[in-house]
Amino acid sequence: MTRRLTAVKTALWLLAGVLGVLTAVRFLRGLGATTALTDTAPWGFWIAFDVMSGVALAAGGFVVAATVYVFGRERYRAFARPAILTAFLGYAAVAVGLLYDLGLPWHILNPVAHPQHHSVLFEVAMCVMLYLTVLFLEFSPVILEHPRLQRPLLARVHRALQKVTIPLVIAGIVLSTLHQSSLGSLFLIAPYRLHPLWYSPYLWVLFFVSAVALGLAMVMAESFFSAWLFGHKPRRELLGNLGRAASVVLLLYAALRLGDLAARGKLDLALQPTGHAALFWFELGVSALLPAVLLQSGRVRAGSGGLFGSAALIVLGMIGYRFDVCIVAFARPEDMPYFPSWTEIAVSVGIVAAAMLVFIFFVEHLRVYPPEEHGPAEPRPRPDPGTVRPLLAGPAAAPRRYSLVAVLGAALAVALLPAGALFGDQVARTPVAGPRTLDAIRVAVDGRPDDLVLAAEPARQAPDGMPARALLLDADRDGRTVLFDHDAHVERAGGETSCGSCHHQNLPFDRASSCGSCHADMFLVSDTFRHESHVGHLGGNAGCARCHDGGEGAKTREKARACDDCHSDMLVPGAVVRPRPGGLDGRAVGYMDAVHGLCVACHEREVALRPGELPASLADCGTCHGREDPARLRRLGPYAAADVRRAAPPPGAAAVPGPSE
Amino acid sequence: MTVPKAILNDTTRCTGCEKCVAACKRENGLGRDLPRRWKLCIDDLSSTRLTTIQRREDGRPVRRMCLHCLEPACVSACIVGALRKRPDGPVVYDRDRCMGCRYCMMACPFGVPRYEWEEPVPYVKKCVLCHHRLDQGKVPACVEACPEKATIFGDRDELLAEAERRVRGEPGRYRPDVFGRDEVGGTSVLYVSDLDLGFLAWKPELGAEALPDLTWAALGKVPTIVLVMGGLMTGAWWLVGRRNKLAAEAAAAKEKEAAAAKEKGAGGGDPPSAAPPAAAPEGRKP
Repeated sequence: MTRRLTAVKTALWLLAGVLGVLTAVRFLRGLGATTALTDTAPWGFWIAFDVMSGVALAAGGFVVAATVYVFGRERYRAFARPAILTAFLGYAAVAVGLLYDLGLPWHILNPVAHPQHHSVLFEVAMCVMLYLTVLFLEFSPVILEHPRLQRPLLARVHRALQKVTIPLVIAGIVLSTLHQSSLGSLFLIAPYRLHPLWYSPYLWVLFFVSAVALGLAMVMAESFFSAWLFGHKPRRELLGNLGRAASVVLLLYAALRLGDLAARGKLDLALQPTGHAALFWFELGVSALLPAVLLQSGRVRAGSGGLFGSAALIVLGMIGYRFDVCIVAFARPEDMPYFPSWTEIAVSVGIVAAAMLVFIFFVEHLRVYPPEEHGPAEPRPRPDPGTVRPLLAGPAAAPRRYSLVAVLGAALAVALLPAGALFGDQVARTPVAGPRTLDAIRVAVDGRPDDLVLAAEPARQAPDGMPARALLLDADRDGRTVLFDHDAHVERAGGETSCGSCHHQNLPFDRASSCGSCHADMFLVSDTFRHESHVGHLGGNAGCARCHDGGEGAKTREKARACDDCHSDMLVPGAVVRPRPGGLDGRAVGYMDAVHGLCVACHEREVALRPGELPASLADCGTCHGREDPARLRRLGPYAAADVRRAAPPPGAAAVPGPSE
Repeated sequence: MTVPKAILNDTTRCTGCEKCVAACKRENGLGRDLPRRWKLCIDDLSSTRLTTIQRREDGRPVRRMCLHCLEPACVSACIVGALRKRPDGPVVYDRDRCMGCRYCMMACPFGVPRYEWEEPVPYVKKCVLCHHRLDQGKVPACVEACPEKATIFGDRDELLAEAERRVRGEPGRYRPDVFGRDEVGGTSVLYVSDLDLGFLAWKPELGAEALPDLTWAALGKVPTIVLVMGGLMTGAWWLVGRRNKLAAEAAAAKEKEAAAAKEKGAGGGDPPSAAPPAAAPEGRKP
């Protein structure tokens, strides 16, 4: 038995070690770097599992307390202590899990300072806080029994606590009723997002009833697990009775769920062949119908396997119910699904592992289970300072073993961390695609001679138009294009010799390199410097000093000569864009910033130079953006329809995707 | 007495120039829009873009922003009162109170509040109707920037009347209903349009019921639940305790009787306790 316990504890410490690293990452790097949450999935795994399911899983505490203390069923007294301890640790885990999920966890006590009593969440928070206190008081006599704590003052506290047991238990039941149901009420505010098979004005009733069933199932599951772990016999007959009670509650739950759907006329939604309907029946089947039927059978109740299996079905199914309400059946765009990141799951698992370690600690040191149920106690380690022990030998090595696996877990977590978790959330790279050439016709529109009409099928070509070519800019290929009249710009800028006005820098041996050849990412700074190629051309290692300043120390980019020291021909004299002071360093800003900087600056300057001649809106976004029909352009390619035109911008047309500042 | 203010958006006048977006960014000091994992596209609403021009399938521009509901779901959801509806219209945000639970984002029927996911110290971001400008007697930055008067600012009653006038006056140009008059109890941002604006919300058809009422229907029952559950449990405890006590007394009496009988007629008679106590006496120790 001790070997099994040691193995379980070792595994739990491994998970706790993983949690340690993820905790640091979560609080240093933020939610974006560690979770898969998005603006359309603001609540994810942590809320659905740690909070919604965690609270429900701890419902065993109040169910058993009611059974034993209020209804006087003394036979179940043996379940009371473990159930209350499970509940206490469960709620503590909820609170800890919440700290990870809250964006500003150091404000967790703000609901007390700034109550907003119209919020369901406020009621949940208050109840959970109070109930956590109640559970602590309910359990504290067990702690006070410890031989080390036999002091007169503590004994008086102990006696006082025993006197208020019944009021505490009743307060706990009331608080549980309130917040178990309110976890359902949380979603009443979202009738337009929660799928109608799950949304009900009586969600709070469904959550409460399902929590009672889940509480009973958790007492069963936990009894079997700790019997297995600590090597004592499960009280199968009593557990069978709990199972029968759970079965009745589950049937009530299923009847309420279906009856509510029928009463609201939504039952036909469950009978249509949709994914949501399938999910609904699967969830209801696993969580309620199947285990209810199983537990009605005396043969199932008589065997450990049947009882534990049914309890496991209820637990998994009811967790599934909470996940469905919180995540799966909660509407979000189809192209933006939510699936938790491994770090999210590992944090939740780690918190559960830590809670289980505390549970085992309490069981080992306090009288959680009746003494007759205890198996042989784990032999106490007797440290012998005179002996040098090998690292992993003997039970005395256990603490060292646990530290070791915790460190291993931490190392494992570090090894598996995504880059975003290590360095903060990264913006995805968006490689830039070059412009496409379009056939167009130049026609006079409203007396302006230089307007382009895209060439359509020949019949629709304007009779007086001149053939022309235009550039279709869509660097990130998102379908939103800018039609750039290259010819007209050449003409305005002064003909064939004017390339340098815009093409401010060329690749070596190139003339008029396109924007994307250096500004190679839509948003991020790109590196245009080819180090290997330079090393090759400059004679390998012997050539380092030709770029990098002489002297000792690392040869960094900062110590290198500016590119234009050698490649003076890369720079185009008289270009609108000038190199930064200090010379070229081989870095190019994002494509969008580059193009906006070039075009907008020039347009603004021209407007300022010729105020009467040019419309003030020339520098607005709408001059270039949003004039075409992107869908149609994409479909027709070079033969875009004739009515898709880039007409002269109306006065005051402006703006664009993206920052223009 | 503050008069409720409002914004009226006329999508038939909007040219999609996005000057409102630029003005909003300038006024609120918002950063660059970057392609982040949590956005579908960079010109969707985001923590750096509190109003945006959404282009429908036919290329028609429609401005999106917080609708500043008259009875906001986000305000009723906020656990700490960080979101608040001002009497003059804006739904404002107090970042010092926020604890980052993001229940407002779950509650909003229009999916408006956004989060600074990339920040280690993140806050909720949403349009606050430039309430700092309203306090100075100015109109919101987006309204000031609009060259087409496609978005105008004024008293809600007057704007509603203006909206009705436009819709009635040019039935061919507009759909007959003013979006925001009744939706989720009415909003402080109104729309007149020739388009179906159902896409602004999570469901195309919005009822006229204010969402906080749905919550209150359940939340208002809390005192009842406390009284009923507390009463039931106390009653049950008292009844069960009394029954056990009586049973114990009866058993003790019987035992006494039986003992007496045993003493009297040694050897004969029934075994002493015909009915063992149903349950042990009430225990108070946990």
